[in-house]
Amino acid sequence: MYPFPAIPAASRGPGSAGGRKAYFGEERLSTETERERGARTRESTLVARDLRKSYGDFQAVKGVDFEVYRGECFGFLGPNGAGKTSTMKMIYGAAIPTGGELTVAGLDVTRHERDVKRRIGVVPQENNLDDDLEVKENLLVYGRYFDLPKKVILRRAEELLDFVELMDKANAEVEQLSGGMKRRLLIARALINDPEIVVLDEPTTGLDPQARHLVWERLRELANEGKTLILTTHYMEEAARLCDRLVIMEGGRIVTEGSPKRLIEEHVSPQVLEFRGRDGSLGKLHEVVEMEADAVERSGDSLLVYASDADALLEKVRRSGVEVENTVYRQAGLEDVFLRLTGRSLTD
Amino acid sequence: MNAPLRLPSPRGTFRVWQRNMTIFRKYWVSIMFPNFIEPIFYLAALGLGLGAFIQEGGINGGTYVQYIAPGLLASNAMFAASFESTFNTFVKLKIDRIYDAIISTPVNAEDVVAGEYLWAGTRAALYGTGFLAVLAVLGFTLSPEAPLVSSFWALLIPPMLLLIGVMFSVMGTLFTSLIQRIDLYAYYFTLVVTPLFLFSGIFFPVDDFPAPVPQIAWFTPLYHAVNVCRELATGPSPAVLADIAWIVTFTLLLAMLPIHFMRRRLIS
Repeated sequence: MYPFPAIPAASRGPGSAGGRKAYFGEERLSTETERERGARTRESTLVARDLRKSYGDFQAVKGVDFEVYRGECFGFLGPNGAGKTSTMKMIYGAAIPTGGELTVAGLDVTRHERDVKRRIGVVPQENNLDDDLEVKENLLVYGRYFDLPKKVILRRAEELLDFVELMDKANAEVEQLSGGMKRRLLIARALINDPEIVVLDEPTTGLDPQARHLVWERLRELANEGKTLILTTHYMEEAARLCDRLVIMEGGRIVTEGSPKRLIEEHVSPQVLEFRGRDGSLGKLHEVVEMEADAVERSGDSLLVYASDADALLEKVRRSGVEVENTVYRQAGLEDVFLRLTGRSLTD
Repeated sequence: MNAPLRLPSPRGTFRVWQRNMTIFRKYWVSIMFPNFIEPIFYLAALGLGLGAFIQEGGINGGTYVQYIAPGLLASNAMFAASFESTFNTFVKLKIDRIYDAIISTPVNAEDVVAGEYLWAGTRAALYGTGFLAVLAVLGFTLSPEAPLVSSFWALLIPPMLLLIGVMFSVMGTLFTSLIQRIDLYAYYFTLVVTPLFLFSGIFFPVDDFPAPVPQIAWFTPLYHAVNVCRELATGPSPAVLADIAWIVTFTLLLAMLPIHFMRRRLIS
């Protein structure tokens, strides 16, 4: 069992990031972080083997294998309908696997439903805060579901409201919160039981850029505190910023797996030229660049050209005289990996 | 595929009940207030208005208002538990998604349903106690020679209302667990709740009707609830035990069904 750690009063003073109190006030005894240890020892905290999920005739997850190491941030990237949410739901007991195995913190999810749920925190895709309760009451009532002692709940609720910067909204009605605040409250709620693993289903979908950055900041802080984070996203940027390792899912299967950096190195050339133009001109352009480019992808009204030497290629395009409306030069990213592997763009 | 029978855990059940109680305590004055007014309307319209046309000594040697008052206690519990387990539960299930949040904690789907049963029973008992107090006070003030509550056994009415509330919560939750749209409750209230209200011996004794009316009534839940309340309000006979046994048996037999269906709705 994961104990409720007593937070020493001395460690709750100022001195942590930005003068705020550290949420997880436990003193670290070794200098090695949870994440480094997890990566070094490859100690798995979640293992899926041939995991499958069907709804009637529809196979949402078609046999996936993955392992999440203790203390890392692990991402599921993919478009809607890829099977990400179904996989998440199997982790936190909202869906029962149709086949295969899934162990969380060493426990089989179907046989030890309650114990698994006791050790994880869940941030769902859709807001399901309790509208009949005020902000802080949401945390207090949620803590009771875990049978935590009242004193512990009260203390954690305060610390968590501070952590997600909602202290001044403690007595507000949930309905009065903005989308970003609600998401932060959901994150705070998921942490009330001090979980080993936090499962986040699209934690920043629908948030404005500012709110998104604030959520990212908090999640990175959690990762640094040694929490294992498992998240789904369809934002490449989010995956690249947060995840130590990720899998790309499509159509219920895992297409590839690795760190964001390695995936980019492995699957795409370092430089990308994006040409935007009319249908006819893009076809001509395709012929021009085909020989020199490492790969060419067509995505909507643009042509993505992957190359090791973008300058030479650009020069060639100029000399060819093909009319191009707009050219963007950039470094290759995860989006390109996705496009290369699935042959389709991630916008849906 | 799922485990066939999932028994609720007492702890989880309590946590769900506690959540509802926390909210109730915030708003109880405004929630309960109409409840104190309602019996006055009923007694004025039916007891004094309609009752004036009914000869004294017409039913069981008492006034008409004495006859209907305890039965209204039972129907009040039915309405309280039915609203709780239909509209309120539907909103928590499908609109606010409260249950989705709860079942990702150690509280399971079966605990949620059992907690709601217990809460609906509690609410029925709280409502009924208010109603009972109004009846007792009003009865003694208006006509001390013919009080509406005339036995100390009436103190057992609130716990009985809890049981009656749980029974109607099981029925309401069963309907809730099967429907997808909130407007379908019109069927439940028109075809189940209203006929029970009218034909369970609250307004006239069904036992005196020719067969098969009393026999049909015996198979319906509110009939027994009315019997229990009437007996306890005026001093019970041993026959009340049969009615209580009927309520307990019916509730236990039906209780697992909504748990099964709700689990299937909450967990895919």
